[in-house]
Amino acid sequence: MILSDTDRKILHRLQSNLPLVSRPFQELSKELNIDEDTIIERIKFMIEKGYVRRLAPIINTQAMGREATLAAINVPEDRIDEVSAIVNSYSGVSHNYLRKGKNCNISYNMWFTMSAKDDEELHSRLKEIEDRTGLTVRSMPTTKKFKIGVRFKIY
Amino acid sequence: MTNKKEDIDVKLIKYIQEGLPVTKTPYKDIGQALGMPEDEVIERLKKLLESGKIRRLAASIAHRKIGIDANAMCVWKVPKERVDEVGKIMAGFEEVTHCYERPTYPDWQYNVFTMVHGYTDAECEAVIQAIREKTGLNDYVILYSEKEFKKVGVRI
Repeated sequence: MILSDTDRKILHRLQSNLPLVSRPFQELSKELNIDEDTIIERIKFMIEKGYVRRLAPIINTQAMGREATLAAINVPEDRIDEVSAIVNSYSGVSHNYLRKGKNCNISYNMWFTMSAKDDEELHSRLKEIEDRTGLTVRSMPTTKKFKIGVRFKIY
Repeated sequence: MTNKKEDIDVKLIKYIQEGLPVTKTPYKDIGQALGMPEDEVIERLKKLLESGKIRRLAASIAHRKIGIDANAMCVWKVPKERVDEVGKIMAGFEEVTHCYERPTYPDWQYNVFTMVHGYTDAECEAVIQAIREKTGLNDYVILYSEKEFKKVGVRI
């Protein structure tokens, strides 16, 4: 870990909205008591080194009129690479994880999120994955949202 | 909202979704690239945030890289009539980053999903234990990610 306390302070603040003013980093410099040039330089450093994936709009797929779902597949151990390559090939797939139950065995081991421009496109893509893999894809779209907002405690 | 306005918003989002310019005047620089005054860039982003089309204009952190390695998806079997009450309790934990109700299937009975992020598995499990105590729920599975095949932000 090569992040300094200054970096951590910037990183923590950067998880909330960037001010919509002409000089947003100058605004942050007042809040954080770190000068503007240092803030800019450290953000560039953290992006370059991969601590920050991107400083960008976080899009609400549904509000943009897109449909999204969390899908699960029970993939046989020896087909994991092949099936994950198929799933990942879709641009609407933003996450794909191999997961294992800790306190209890569960059959679904591949979990991915997919979005598409509408319901029809979403379902046809999931169906396509089923056809290409011969495996059942379980779609579990959100029926109720209680929380969304990945902001990490940085310490 | 007219189609034309939407088109410009989409053009704006597409231009910045890989990353804002990290400069003294990022909105002015975006405007210059798109042939739009700085004020218009700011105004459009404000409206996109207000309407909820953009959740945040902020940094996405490589949480694994900064040491937040543990990522537990904990799924719970919650009686239908308790979903609202329980969902609110779970969402109240700082370490719970997402909390959703999702449909069940004959072979999948867990209807409430929580994502718990922490620096260690033990930290995640302490949160899950606290949720159990606060809700009285005991039917749950903790799913740890064994492998990350893909992780990118949503793009349009």
